[in-house]
Amino acid sequence: MATVSVLRFSGHQYLRHRLVLSILSGKPVRIDKIRPDDQNPGLRDYEVSLLRLLERITNGTVIEINVTGTAILLKPGIITGGNVTHECPLSRSIGYFLEPVVMLAPFSKKPLQLTLRGITSNDQDLSADLIRTVTLPHLQLFGISEGLELRIKKRGSPPLGGGEIQFLCPIIKQVKTLNFVEPGKIKRIRGIAHAVRVSPQFSNRMIETSRSVLNRYIPDIYLYSDVYKGEDSGKSPGYALSLLAESTTGAVHCSEVVSRPGTAPEDIALLASRALLSEIKKGGCVDRKHQTLILLFMVLGSEDVGRCKMGEPTARTIQFLRDVRDAFGTSFKIVPSDPSDPTSSELLFSCYGTGYVNANRSLA
Amino acid sequence: MDERPHKAHRPAQSGSKAEKKKGKGKEKQHGFNEKACLAFAPRSGRRADRQGRRNVERDQTRLHVPLVDRTPDDQPPPVVVAIVGPPGVGKTTLLKSLVRRYTKQTLNQVQGPITVVSGKKKRITFIECNNDLNSMIDIGKVADLVLLMIDGSYGFEMETFEFLNILQSHGFPKVIGVLTHLDLIKKAATLRATKKALKKRFWTEIYQGAKLFYLSGVLNGRYPDTEILNLSRFISVMKFRPLVFRNSHPYLLADRIEDLTPREEVRESNGKCDRTVTVYGYLRGTNLRLGTKVHIPGVGDLEMKSITKLGDPCPLPDAESEKRRKLSEKRKLLVHAPMSDVGGVVYDKDAVYINVPGSFTRGNADVPQGEGERMVMDLQDVNETLEDAVAASEEGSEDEEEVLEGSDFDGDEDDFESGSEIDEGVEDAGSKKPFEGRTAPRIVNRGAGGQSSKHERQNKEVDYADSDSDLGYNDGDEDAYEGRRVRFDDDDEVDVDSGEDEEELSDGEEAPRWKADLSEKALASYKQNARSSKRRDWIKLIYSSSLSPEEIVRGDNPDSSNSLANEDNADDDDFFTLRPKTASVLNEDGDDTTKDALNEEELKQWEDEELLDSIRHLFITGSSSQPQGGDDGYEDLEADGDFEDLEAGDGDQDPSPQVQDPEASRAAELAAKKEALKRKFDEQYDDPESSKMDFYEEKKDEMARQLQLNRAEFEDVLDPEARALVEGHRPGSYVRVELANVPCEMIEHFDPMYPIVLGGLLPAEERFGYVQVRIKRHRWFVRTLKSNDPLIFSVGWRRFQTVPVYSLDDHSIRMRLLKYTPEHMHCYATFYGPASLPNTGFCAFNSLSGSSPGFRVSATGVVLDIDRTTKIVKKLKLTGVPYKIFKNTAFVKDMFNSALEVAKFEGANIRTVSGIRGQVKKALAKPDGAFRATFEDKVLMSDIIFLRAWYSVQPRKFYNPVTSLLLSEKGSWSGMRLTGQIRREEGLKTPLNVNSTYKKVERAPRRFNALKVPKKLQAELPYASKPKIMKPQHRQTYLQKRAVVMEPEEKKAIALLQQIRALRKDQVAKRKEKQGERKAAHREKVAKEEAKKGEKDKEKRKEYMRAAGMKSKREAEKEEGGSRKRRRNE
Repeated sequence: MATVSVLRFSGHQYLRHRLVLSILSGKPVRIDKIRPDDQNPGLRDYEVSLLRLLERITNGTVIEINVTGTAILLKPGIITGGNVTHECPLSRSIGYFLEPVVMLAPFSKKPLQLTLRGITSNDQDLSADLIRTVTLPHLQLFGISEGLELRIKKRGSPPLGGGEIQFLCPIIKQVKTLNFVEPGKIKRIRGIAHAVRVSPQFSNRMIETSRSVLNRYIPDIYLYSDVYKGEDSGKSPGYALSLLAESTTGAVHCSEVVSRPGTAPEDIALLASRALLSEIKKGGCVDRKHQTLILLFMVLGSEDVGRCKMGEPTARTIQFLRDVRDAFGTSFKIVPSDPSDPTSSELLFSCYGTGYVNANRSLA
Repeated sequence: MDERPHKAHRPAQSGSKAEKKKGKGKEKQHGFNEKACLAFAPRSGRRADRQGRRNVERDQTRLHVPLVDRTPDDQPPPVVVAIVGPPGVGKTTLLKSLVRRYTKQTLNQVQGPITVVSGKKKRITFIECNNDLNSMIDIGKVADLVLLMIDGSYGFEMETFEFLNILQSHGFPKVIGVLTHLDLIKKAATLRATKKALKKRFWTEIYQGAKLFYLSGVLNGRYPDTEILNLSRFISVMKFRPLVFRNSHPYLLADRIEDLTPREEVRESNGKCDRTVTVYGYLRGTNLRLGTKVHIPGVGDLEMKSITKLGDPCPLPDAESEKRRKLSEKRKLLVHAPMSDVGGVVYDKDAVYINVPGSFTRGNADVPQGEGERMVMDLQDVNETLEDAVAASEEGSEDEEEVLEGSDFDGDEDDFESGSEIDEGVEDAGSKKPFEGRTAPRIVNRGAGGQSSKHERQNKEVDYADSDSDLGYNDGDEDAYEGRRVRFDDDDEVDVDSGEDEEELSDGEEAPRWKADLSEKALASYKQNARSSKRRDWIKLIYSSSLSPEEIVRGDNPDSSNSLANEDNADDDDFFTLRPKTASVLNEDGDDTTKDALNEEELKQWEDEELLDSIRHLFITGSSSQPQGGDDGYEDLEADGDFEDLEAGDGDQDPSPQVQDPEASRAAELAAKKEALKRKFDEQYDDPESSKMDFYEEKKDEMARQLQLNRAEFEDVLDPEARALVEGHRPGSYVRVELANVPCEMIEHFDPMYPIVLGGLLPAEERFGYVQVRIKRHRWFVRTLKSNDPLIFSVGWRRFQTVPVYSLDDHSIRMRLLKYTPEHMHCYATFYGPASLPNTGFCAFNSLSGSSPGFRVSATGVVLDIDRTTKIVKKLKLTGVPYKIFKNTAFVKDMFNSALEVAKFEGANIRTVSGIRGQVKKALAKPDGAFRATFEDKVLMSDIIFLRAWYSVQPRKFYNPVTSLLLSEKGSWSGMRLTGQIRREEGLKTPLNVNSTYKKVERAPRRFNALKVPKKLQAELPYASKPKIMKPQHRQTYLQKRAVVMEPEEKKAIALLQQIRALRKDQVAKRKEKQGERKAAHREKVAKEEAKKGEKDKEKRKEYMRAAGMKSKREAEKEEGGSRKRRRNE
């Protein structure tokens, strides 16, 4: 009589948010056709590692992977949290693992204390700096603030990594409903330049260049040079600049560029600053890289209308919206934020929250 | 009548009363406030202080935790008023009286919920609850107000208390007590005493001051009209505080149920196939969305196939028809009770019955005709076949409206055609139709005028629009824009322009010519980008197109026929999206990256000064007014009122996109600013308190604002289907829920007397796991509860049987298993079952059957935790004996069976019975399972050694939903029985293991061997340690050797003594004999008295039984009388 509805997806893309949706909604998920035509078919090592990490922060999760690794079935358990340590493979950075965990951790049974080891910043995923300075403030919009912390113990650059971060997340009963429609104006710009196992002058050079672009807008620009020495600086040389712009209403936009072999720090800084400007230009209250996070928490909010103004959705966001509808049955109303202004590309996302309550939290 | 005046009152001049009076008068004279004889002025400073404090405290008690009330104000669902009480107390009579009070109609047969309009803004659904515990549980979960009926002549019955306990554990709805049968108490004094006693008891159960109504007698099969009027007034002014559980779950009390399974399927499977069933009712609680599961208590979890909003069958009076203050008489006739026989129509699960009093002749028009009758009459007129009618109705349902004019019930033709009772011939045609043609919702036509027709229009639109296009709800919007701007795909001009762009760009890639007119291009493409995005309907693109996300981002249009051609244009229009090539490359190697790869080429655009300046307005330092050099594209962007900056204060107040000249705008800005400042000052000056809100007010305000937003946000979404997609169906709407795979028994054994509740489940509640609850045995439940005995829980919507394991927290170290629940204490219970949110209340039963004696609520409690594993342990003692002892080391056997087991326990603490502690060291080779252990002291061979361990206990994974609605006899559900119960019912003996029987313990006396010290050793021992062994005496002692010869006096004395002793013995014996006689006499006397007492007891019992017999007889008669009356009415 009570048949469990299984979410079915195919393809290796968007694996992370699909797993997250499955665990949060409690519906089993079956993903097939994972790189079936590839020379090296099936799951990659980092994806398997992610599955292991999810299994570790949950209780009662059953993961079945077929022989070739091209299909997985995940029957979610409950999110337990607690003290967890995980070694991330060197093929992806810590951000790849931390992003889904950030979405799950507030709904666990016990506060999560997660230690991840591996690469702290690369050019595919959010770096530890961005998660600390941008992702976590985004969570604060939903009432998740006290005890929320990310500590970067060691930095690790690709290819050898050696970094370590510690993520502390409190638990909540229910996320607050978001009503964020005022993007405000940019009032300050902050940034972190770090350079490990290279000359410490590199970070200063990055700061210099970035300032040359950004100084024309506002005076409130602080770019920190973050220094890690010896053991704490990981195993490989590297440097990066991450920038964030905060508006009067608390909207944050960010950009980041990580060093590649043979690039000068000036070029990195220039790229990062321009990327920040283009990000600011796209508008909205939410950074483009965090659209899915915001939308997820809007869906999980109480049974009220949540609203948020954003720029145009990215491909990831679009797929996420479709998957959310499958998992929670919630669709968004997406309209131009200002119908009278034909040039603005900003959209107003509004949805009716599902009234998701952290059922894992124990009373005793 | 004599005119003699009454005797005047003479106050007492002396005695205590006079003294009291005197004292009072004196006290009045001197006091704190003696001059001002104000009524409520305090008389002393201390009292003033106390009064002030009391007032403040009372103010605080008035406050409750602010709760969000999610029922809409404009169209609230009808209030559920349940009438509950033991059989024969007058529930049906009350229900009929109330319905008559509201609608002026008399119901013959009351079945299922009855909805009436009770006021301009209020409707009521009455439902009668039968005496089955299952029904009481379900009703207790949905009722907003309970009319708890009590037989005044009898008093409270067990069911009443059980029901109150059920209510208490599922959030207490409002309760009004109703005392009936008061006319049976003849003596006024007894009546008064009874009322007082019952009221006192009622108040202790509910709260002090709970409302209790007295209904005197029955007149014409109804309660007196004035009393019912009073009761209805109380019901209508009742305010309801939202209950937490109901405020977070959608639910629906079904007032009608219908089987939609194709008849052929049913016939083929002998009626055993799973059914498709529709359930109708008003939605309550929160929004109901498709895709969530629902639970029907008594049936199980079900999947919803579709939800359709129907026209309200019992609509509230609308504004234009109700200008007057009171409800018009016409309105008052509105009643919706599909399962009862209002207007001669009864809806059953698969048929509609029409009750006709006389014969069916057309001629006698003087006989008043009910709706049902008229329907049948109309049916006789029908000239065309049903198919024609359906075809006609699909084109435009005008004719349908005509046909059904005046019929009280929704005129879905196929519905009463399939009612089969009337016309077999038509049924054949109709039998196929309902299941294909049922896309259109039922159209309700009750002569409700404009409103229902409006509904109709809307619904029609929903159903006949094709589903793809109506999801995008701003179609109209698009059209509006079309006027100003041409569509993307059929516009040649745009295409040509972008084609040029493309050329230029491609050129630029070869030669660095792109820098030349960069700003223009940037601008052009920016505008293009913005414009194209503007025109795109994101909801449609995302939710109802099959384009991949990348395609959408690239700007493909789902309708475009030549999408390939478009793709290229769109790509180049977009500045910041990935180029198709790079995107595809990324996707190939695949990954779920958060950071998009940066396109350095595109970022080079930012070398341009103009572009850099163009975003200056997004920073606080940038001026709010437009840069003069910018084109109109920028201007439009900047005039956007959203960038209002409150802190800086120089924000653009004017949201109009028109360009004004700077002087005027500045002046307007200044004026607005001044205005705001003035308002602020006025507010503060007039009432400084008003701007400051306390915490409570603030919270309430916040909630009100959110509710306002909820209402406003989707107001503009015209298409109801799209609206339902986004926000679900709102409470208050009348919906039809189609359920798939419903067990056939629900339909086969459908009984309208049993309520059907459709409760929505949260995602967490669909999953199973171990649920930990805090539980307390009810103090009226006589037996203790035992671990691993099945128990029936009522948690959330569900009722199910499961096997709990009780436990208690043992010094916060471990959860220790309890065999039985403690006597007057909470303990924990853990069971396997569907999870429900922590803090949900529940109650538990051992049996739900009506025949089980005594109080049936066995425990109550609250859910604490849900998990997938449990941590309950019980104590396990492993024992062993030493077989070889060295100093502090001993070899222990009989504790384990193998070396492997020992290895598992290496290092474990062990102890002897005498208290010597030790540790398991290592397994020994020789006897299997023996090990070496060390102790703090030398152990004895006779000591028993034990190891205290904790063995984890898992509750059994047993979950058995109470499927009472699937039974033909709803009250006879029986779940898993206990082994003992089965044996008793089957007449089996408990198997007896011989090894388990108690036997006398034969303990051989311990023999201790004598200590023998070798002679040689003895010789060497020092004297102190030498065993002192004495040789046995071989010679006779002095006394032994001597013979005794007595003197004659001595002999005499001894003889005398002997004689005295003999006499004494004789005396004692005689005395004993006499005492025995006396005792016997006494016993006889006592026995006689006992017999007399017994007789008296017997007499008393007889008296009691006679009274009881009479009562039952009276009840039976009453029932019979009721049925007789009913028959007479028919």
